Amino acid sequence: MIRKNRRKLISASAVIAAGSMLLAATPAQAAEQGVSATSIKLGITIPMTGIASPGYNKIPGAMKAYFDYVNANGGVNGRKITLVVKDDQYIPTLAVAKANELILKDKVFALIGTLGTASTKAISRSAQLSARGIPSLFVNTGFSGFADKKAYPTSFSILPSYQMEAKVIGKYLDDNYAGKKIGLIYQDDDFGVDALNGFKQAGINFAIKVPYAAGSQGVAGVAGTWITKLQAAAPDVVILFGVSSATAAALGNAYAYKYAPKWILGSVGGDATTLAASKVPPAFLAGAKGLSFAPAPSDSADEYIKMFMDVNTTYNKGVAFDNNIVAGMTSAFLAVQAIKAAGPNLTRKGLMSAIEKGASTFANPALTPLGYSATSHVGATGYWIGTYDATGALKPDGGKYTVYTTDSGTGPVVLSNYKRPAMPAKGLPN
Amino acid sequence: MHKLKATNATRLLGFILLGLFLFYLSNTVDELRVYQGATVAMYVIAISSIILLTGYSGQVSLGHGALLAIGGYGAALVRNNFNAPIWIAFIAAILLAAFWGALLGATAARLSGPYLAGTTLALAVGLPSIANQFKFLGGEQGLIFDIGLPPAWLGQTFSQYKWFFWIAALTALIAMWWLQNLLRSGYGRTWRAVRTQSVAAELAGINIARSKILAFTLSAGLAGLAGAVLSMTISTVSPGAFPLSLSFALATGAVLSGVTTLGGVIIGSVTLVAIPEIADVVAHQVGASENATTNLPGLMVSGLLIVAVLFVPNGPVEQLKKKRSK
Repeated sequence: MIRKNRRKLISASAVIAAGSMLLAATPAQAAEQGVSATSIKLGITIPMTGIASPGYNKIPGAMKAYFDYVNANGGVNGRKITLVVKDDQYIPTLAVAKANELILKDKVFALIGTLGTASTKAISRSAQLSARGIPSLFVNTGFSGFADKKAYPTSFSILPSYQMEAKVIGKYLDDNYAGKKIGLIYQDDDFGVDALNGFKQAGINFAIKVPYAAGSQGVAGVAGTWITKLQAAAPDVVILFGVSSATAAALGNAYAYKYAPKWILGSVGGDATTLAASKVPPAFLAGAKGLSFAPAPSDSADEYIKMFMDVNTTYNKGVAFDNNIVAGMTSAFLAVQAIKAAGPNLTRKGLMSAIEKGASTFANPALTPLGYSATSHVGATGYWIGTYDATGALKPDGGKYTVYTTDSGTGPVVLSNYKRPAMPAKGLPN
Repeated sequence: MHKLKATNATRLLGFILLGLFLFYLSNTVDELRVYQGATVAMYVIAISSIILLTGYSGQVSLGHGALLAIGGYGAALVRNNFNAPIWIAFIAAILLAAFWGALLGATAARLSGPYLAGTTLALAVGLPSIANQFKFLGGEQGLIFDIGLPPAWLGQTFSQYKWFFWIAALTALIAMWWLQNLLRSGYGRTWRAVRTQSVAAELAGINIARSKILAFTLSAGLAGLAGAVLSMTISTVSPGAFPLSLSFALATGAVLSGVTTLGGVIIGSVTLVAIPEIADVVAHQVGASENATTNLPGLMVSGLLIVAVLFVPNGPVEQLKKKRSK
């Protein structure tokens, strides 16, 4: 009897399986995956726990907060946006597994904000993003490759590349510290190599270069040796071009050794709240130089920052407003603009072509031009350089953003006269 | 008590039937499950490599992730530089990892217990970052490991993940077939003798060092194969894909599977893949906070590990066998 039942069960499941395969084979009729008449589902996988998570794990919350704000005001073309968040711990294998869950189980419309070069590359390849036409919006990495439309047809950058950043710093040094001795701490991998290329193009000769192996910043005593090396060479200016934990380790040891050159902090490791969480006293940062492409988080006079602050207070209660929040909300804001521009018949193809066609003129908080076009998926294209105050806030010099733009190639660094489009009323899609 | 004495022929038949069942399964379940199936197959190979090493030859490795990395890089380099077919890339991965395993085994044979664990752990910490030092290994971003699209005769709707699964499952089946034969051979008996009573084994004329090195070499070869399969499923190979947590996960999987028998290997493998998903469901059911949700999988794995060590120290399969033979 049992056997008979089991046989029945097997044949029944075979019939169901065959039926579902037939269903799957018929072409999609209604809307695209992840889109209904009333909703749009986006997905993000990002390190929420683990060594790379501090700071970055605030990005999804910030995105959600802005989406919630838009949803509370009617959504985009009548659709409300939800964001599914997965934790990949900065491990490419997990990132692929989570991206697959997002695409195959949660059935998201598009990915947004995946973080880390290796993870983003692995996702793009393994999950066959380009073959399946799945958009990967505003990836959180400064690797210039993702802006290459030929190699990654469905990926869109947002951060300026490491090379752009090094070139901008080079220009700043040329203008302000010509003839001085320059030192550099950098990560001894592609991240650092990209930067070294940029510095070379800018014609910077270093009095001392201190490379560190990724991860070694956490080993007791290692960061102390960086500082003794720097002290021996005695540069006037030291550039810290590493991740947050390495920047914090360098500054922490410099503080202990009472070593205080002129610091320049790269944008990757330069978030003051993340540094403060790693026990670098904000006052020690005072006078250091830093870079950003978005307005300073402390600049409440900026219409976008003001709106983001309000959204953060209402929809992201109890979370300190900082660079990571600005970064998350900036990506979310751009995504909303793109979805709006793609029109009421939202498709993946439509979304991507809307970004290619119009995103360079979309309203958005970035202070540098956006480089999206039919041939390029470059996001922000430069930086402004400012000074940290005694509270650890990065502020533009003389109260005015001086923005430099450049490219990831051999192009020059030029002072930008870009005028950002005005924010739509209340920061909502118009 | 055993009514049916399993012969080689019946075992082979069993493997073929299992293969056919997996083939049938791959055509019925959805794409996410197929992808997870490929990951399970990878874990099966990797965990059985630990079972061979720890359960049979009595050596501990906390650094298997490093051997997986060697295999993954080996396969990618051979594939990218010589445009080798996938099976050649897999064989290259096995040989390369086995070579390094032999070197490591020669050192390991002089060490035991915590010292060996410490040495292998250091390997797992250090080795992946070596990739950052040499340009041909691609640095932090790693290398692409693209096995190409499934052959056209499989049809338009045949997905890439099904292709991954077929390759991974077939590889795992072949590896398991080979391994279970090996473990029942004279080598297997030698290893067991060395593990349980090394002095007696030596008196019986067994060269302990050689037997240990051989076990390490073969285990490393299997680990290399697992690394190649892992790299295939994520189409890339990079240092970040082989973190310390991978080595620990494999050791955990081996304990859950029952470290002294090969039979339970599927249990540990499925558990490692299923736990994050179960945790997700649980977290959703109780409406846990984001913080709790992200930490739940780790908690569940640790909990299971404690339960396994407390109640089924030799693994669930061994426990069942014992019960039956009583």
